[in-house]
Parts: sequence; structure tokens; C-alpha cells
Amino acid sequence: MVHSHSSQAGADGLSDADRQLLRDSTRDFLASRWPSASAMERVGDAAAVTALWRDMAAQGLSALGADPAEGGLREIMLVFEELGRAACPAPLLGAVIANMALAGAGKAAEPLQQDLRMGKAIVAASLGAFDGDAGAGKVACRDGKIDGMVAFVEGSLGATQHLVFTESPAGVALVDAGAAAVSIRETPGLAVPSLAEITFAQATAVSIPVAAGRLRDIALMARVACAARALGAAQRAFELAVEHAKVRKQFGEFIGSFQAVQHKLANCLISLEGTQLVLRNVGESHDKGSEDWRVFAAAALAFAGPALREVSVQTHRALGAIGYAEEHEAPRHFRRVHADLARFGGAPRSRAELADYLLGPLA
Amino acid sequence: MALLPALDTDPKINAFRAEVRAWIAKHWTPERRAEHRKLPFKLRGWDPQFSREMGKDGWIGIGWPREYGGQARSPSEQIAFVEEMANAGCPVQAHNTGESIVAQALIGHGSPEQQAEWLTAIRGGERSFALGYSEPDAGSDLAGLRTKAVQDGDHWVVNGQKLWSTGGDKSEYVWLAVRTDGEVKKHAGISVLMVNLRSPGITIRPSMAMYGRTFSAVFYDNVRVPACNMVGKVNGGWKVITDALAAERVMIGGSRMAGLQRAFDHLTEHVKTATAGGKALRSDPLVRDRIGALAADLEVARQLLIRNTTMVEQGRVPLYEAAVSKVFTSELQERMGQASLDILGTGGLLSEDAASAPLGEMEQLLRHSIMGMIGGGTNEIQRNVIALRSLGMPR
Ligand SMILES: Cc1cc2nc3c(=O)[nH]c(=O)nc-3n(C[C@H](O)[C@H](O)[C@H](O)COP(=O)(O)OP(=O)(O)OC[C@H]3O[C@@H](n4cnc5c(N)ncnc54)[C@H](O)[C@@H]3O)c2cc1C
Repeated sequence: MVHSHSSQAGADGLSDADRQLLRDSTRDFLASRWPSASAMERVGDAAAVTALWRDMAAQGLSALGADPAEGGLREIMLVFEELGRAACPAPLLGAVIANMALAGAGKAAEPLQQDLRMGKAIVAASLGAFDGDAGAGKVACRDGKIDGMVAFVEGSLGATQHLVFTESPAGVALVDAGAAAVSIRETPGLAVPSLAEITFAQATAVSIPVAAGRLRDIALMARVACAARALGAAQRAFELAVEHAKVRKQFGEFIGSFQAVQHKLANCLISLEGTQLVLRNVGESHDKGSEDWRVFAAAALAFAGPALREVSVQTHRALGAIGYAEEHEAPRHFRRVHADLARFGGAPRSRAELADYLLGPLA
Repeated sequence: MALLPALDTDPKINAFRAEVRAWIAKHWTPERRAEHRKLPFKLRGWDPQFSREMGKDGWIGIGWPREYGGQARSPSEQIAFVEEMANAGCPVQAHNTGESIVAQALIGHGSPEQQAEWLTAIRGGERSFALGYSEPDAGSDLAGLRTKAVQDGDHWVVNGQKLWSTGGDKSEYVWLAVRTDGEVKKHAGISVLMVNLRSPGITIRPSMAMYGRTFSAVFYDNVRVPACNMVGKVNGGWKVITDALAAERVMIGGSRMAGLQRAFDHLTEHVKTATAGGKALRSDPLVRDRIGALAADLEVARQLLIRNTTMVEQGRVPLYEAAVSKVFTSELQERMGQASLDILGTGGLLSEDAASAPLGEMEQLLRHSIMGMIGGGTNEIQRNVIALRSLGMPR
């Protein structure tokens, strides 16, 4: 991971300059290792994802979430944003969730922590009862065995480990992906790569206790990370549309000189910058230790949902048919934006959380 | 208070807020507020006596440089100040056009004599201003203005018509944009005059704007204005006007934001306690969803405003950024007004003049939102600015 170069970083972790370096290096890395020209055909290629993950580990990225001093929520969001831009399916969400959940867990967690650091482990994490979606399923964990079904799981492609949040006892259950009593079924749809359903039938699990409050916080950070990834995707699609508007001519004019197109893009910019600023404040208040980060996260997620979806649709309209072909880059971003924002209860859940904060929770 | 957590936790700013609150508590007492509240809506907010009291204690021009008698307060402090004044409902309109638009222009473009006289008067709360920009044929295209000024000895003689001057029927002076050269490109022939509205030849015709206060048509018929009242060079007015507007945008955003937060606070407080059809309003899932959405939008508006003040603090001019903030926040005001109607039902139509109104200020908020989307450069013009300046769209 990047170590702090600047004296201003202090208790806040990395400095802004460090973060800029991290952004640049991640962007360069992804441009060379996951170029957009070949991203389409490699998206379902487990071997390619596994190889990419090893290289990301060498960059220190697979350890994100393990030690706040080496990278807090701001750094996690930043890397997710870059993954979104690159339409890259790297299995970072599972790793970050595992790193956060296992921090301080002691011996039982060490092998997996070690493997994550080295890029040997790929974790498919499910938040189970902490997911926020009514259809996400859950598991029961007793005497070293788990039972149940979880849905909408990302990162099962090439996964070596499953990690599932459990309610009672509060904690996480770790299951080897190769275990006999585990079955995985891909559930194709808008999300690419597909989400999956995983069924555990008396599967052998290592159960690690984690306080329920901590699990909720990790789940919220996962939601924020996904929103950051959606922002990266929406931003990139928007840049494609802006470029297009400057070169595409119709009726003898650049389409970017038509006010209908200009105002569409201006609206997109407002939504993108609004999302970026509120998300940035979530990361900052979290990393500086403010309790309020959860409220700010709810606000950011409630705004980002509808705002980024609209950006995504409007950029497609500006691109016309060329951006609608699946071999074009834009459809990947459309899929990413919608998939990442609809999960975990989506914006309606975040609006409900804000209402709870302002009006008091419902009895 | 039912608002999202405060963002400015800077102890220096909080100490400043406490100082401002203490002054307000002493000068804008509950009795005085109650008296002011009895005035019809159209007269509220404008109180020359209160402006003079603020001026006496140094509260006008707190953002101006010290050499002009200001306190050189940072933009964040100015926003905090604007918020505190708005939260207490202090009447600041008699001085704030002079304080923030005219004074900005005088500091940048005024002669030392003008600065000595006019800045002192504005700072003392002794001189009120209206803006005379718009005309029948010059709205968004302000540079198309035609009101003409011709030099005659040591005076300018003004003829023409202005429209929509807010406070034109109450102010002593108008900050007037005039054409002094009709032969050159339109931006190059404009000058700015400070004109006493009591001068012979001026006719003022107020009309009521839908938000509940007046704006005026002002007719100029051979009005003689001393040449020393011209600010900037002859035909150099365009720069004077645009500089003053840029400086002002951020502060206008601050007061709009303060108004919105206050209205939202009242709305959520109402929802917390009110019932509809025997059920607690706060238990209605649709109401909760709307409140959640508005809260998220308010957080965005707040972050956009902070970005602008931070930029100003760093000595940068937020151009397209100010446009982004203006568009988002004024349209949020519209959404908030509309949501209030949905939440309050028909009762939301009732104004504060109706004794049984559940929350009389919300229908005014809705009417007022249109002013925010038109005034200060329409939101369409702002979107043009964003597309051309920030995104580099072809013309
Ligand atoms: C409550 C209120 C108070 C005001 N107070 C003052 C004041 O104190 N002093 C003063 O001088 N003026 C004042 N104004 C006037 C204000 O500055 C003008 O209304 C504003 O500049 C727009 O001009 P217009 O109304 O003539 O609309 P127009 O310019 O005629 O615009 C009409 C419509 O056309 C659109 N349009 C125009 N040009 C373009 C373009 N290039 N691209 C896309 N769309 C375009 C506009 O966005 C708008 O939707 C006030 C206005 C209001 C509503």
C-alpha cells in the first residue's frame, strides 16, 4: 500500500497528495492491465481475473481495509471509482469486506488475511441478513456448519473463499469455495459479471465473531464503495459523451452546439459533481472519526441512486446508436451504474435511513 | 432542530457564530421580532433603522478589506454570518444590495473619493440601493440595454426605462447600467451610474411579484446625474457589472441555502408532530421517502456551496461552479415547495395569513422558487455557461 509521504497526513491517514498518487497509479495500472479494448471478452474469464488480482495484490491493493493507517474509506472509495471507470471486475469488494471483518480477529483469520495480501485468495462476500435487500437470503451457523441460501453475491468467478455475514452469533462464516456442500448458480441479468446465488447445505465453516454494530458499519462501507464504483463508471461514460458531442456532426453542426445536448450534459455534470462532493464528505468524516459519517453516507447514497442513473441514461442519449452496441464501452458503464446502485436496498433504503434520523425511527 | 449534522465544526467559526448570536439576541429581541412579524409580508425584511444599528456596530461589510472599514472576514465566516441572520429572521434587505454588489464594485473600480464617501455611507447602513439592469428588450441579453446617458457639462442626462428593480420603490439610490456609446459593439458602450431615485424626471411604478414583494418599472426622463457618480471609466461598465456579480453569486447562494435549511427544518418539525386522518404524519412511508430525498438534496446543495466558498478563500473565482450551485439549489427549492404540497395536502396551499394553515411558509417558498430560477441569470443561461465554460462545447 502507499505509505504517507507528507507531514500533513498525521492522524488522518494519507494526505491529499498521497491520494492523488494512488489515483494516478491505479488508473495507469488498470489502463495497462485491463484495457477497455479487451475488457468485454475478458469479463467472464476466471483465469484473467485471477491473474489480474495477483498483480493488484503486488500493488498493495488487495490489503485495502485491513489497516486504516494504510488506507481508510477514502482510499477504498478512490480505488473503487477507478475500477468503475475501467469497467474492471476485480474481486475487491469481497477482499475489502473480509479485510475489515477479520481485522483483529486473531489466529483463526490469519491464513486468509495472509492469502488476501498475497493475492492468492479471492473472496466472494455476502452480507446475508445485513444486506438490506429482502431477497438477499441468509444462513444459519451452528457447530461449525452453515445452512442456507444467499443471493446477489458478486465476485464468485474464481472465488477461493466464501465469506457470509451471520446474525446469531454475530460474525462471519468462512467456507472454502471447493467444499462439497456448496453450490453456486449464476444469475444473469443487468449486472456484468453476473451476480450469483450460493447454497450451503451443512457446509463446514470457520466462524469468527464480529460485533453486530461493526458488521452494519462494514455493510454500509460496502454500499458506499459500490456507489463510488458507480460514480467512476458514470463519470467515464459522461466523458465519452462529451468527447462525442465535440466531434459528431449532424445538420452540418457539431451536436455539442445544440442547446438540447448542451443542457443534458450540463445536468449530468451537476449530478456527477454533486455525487462526488457528498461521497467525498462521507470518506472524510469517516476517516476523521466522526460519528456522523453514517448519516452523510445515507445522504450520499440517497442522492447518488437516482442522480447517477439519470446521468447514465442521458449520456447514452447523447451518444446515440453507436454507444448502444454492446461492443462499445458505454453499455458496460450503464450496467455497472444500475447494478451498483440498486443493490443493498438502493436509494429507497437510504431515504428511509435519513427519515429515521430526522423523524425518529418507526415503532 | 431536525437537520443533518452541522458541517462547520471549525472552533474559530463557531466562536464567531456565538458572537453574532449574542449581538442578535441583544438587538433583534423577541419583542422587536413580534412587532416586525405584524407587518404585511411585502414590508418585512426591509428596516433602515435595523440596518443603521448593524452599521453602527460594524456588522455591515464584514467581508470587506480592513482598509475600507471591513473586518476582512473569510467567506466561511461570511456564510456563517448570513446563516445566523437568516435563522433569526433579521431584516437585512435595506442594506444588502449596497453592501454586497455596489460596494464590491466600488472597491474594485471606484475612485478614492467615491470609496471614501459611498463605502462609508453603505457601511453605516445609511444608503440603500436598487439594481437597474433589466429593460423591456434587455433581460438575459443584458448588454442589449438601451437606456441612454449623454454628457452635458459635469452631468450625465439619462433617458429610458428599466424594469423589475427589486426595492426600487424603497431605495434611495439605483445602481444603473446605461448606454453611453451606441456606435460600438454592445458590451463596449455601457457605463454605470449611481443615481438618486428622488431626482427630478424619475417615475417609479411598482408591481407585485408573485413571491410577495414588489419590483418596479423606473422611467427616466432627462434625469441629471452628477458626473462624479459614474463608477469606472466611461464605456467601461461591463467589467464593473460582471465583477460585482461574480463576487455576489456565492453570498446569494449562502442566503438561499440558509433559507432552504430553515424551511426544511420547519417542515420536518411539523411532520414529526402532526397527524393526518388520525394517523401520525411521520409514520406515512411516502412522507418519509420524500423527506429522505429532500435531505439528501440539501446535503448536496450544502457541499456545492462549501466548494464555492473554499474556492473564494483560495483566491479562485468559481465560474461554472457557481452556476452549478445556483441551478441545483434554486431547483431544489422548487422540489421542496412541491413536496410540501404533497405532504401537507390542501392545507399546504394556505398561507401564514390563514389562521389554520399547517405551515404557512411553504406555499411562499414554492412561489419564491421561480424567482431563484429566473433572477441573477436564468437557469438556462447558467446551463449554457456550464456547457460552454466547463465542458468546452462548441458554440
Ligand atoms: C423577482 C425578480 C426580481 C428581479 N429583480 C431585478 C432587479 O432588482 N434589477 C434588475 O435589473 N432585474 C431584476 N430582475 C430581472 C432579471 O434579471 C431578469 O428577469 C432575468 O435577467 C431574465 O430576463 P427576462 O426576464 O427578460 O427573460 P428573457 O431573457 O426574456 O428569457 C425568457 C426565457 O428565455 C430563455 N432564454 C433567453 N436567452 C436564452 C439563451 N441564450 N439560451 C437559452 N435560453 C434563453 C430564458 O432562460 C427564459 O427561460 C428580477 C427578476 C425577478 C423575477
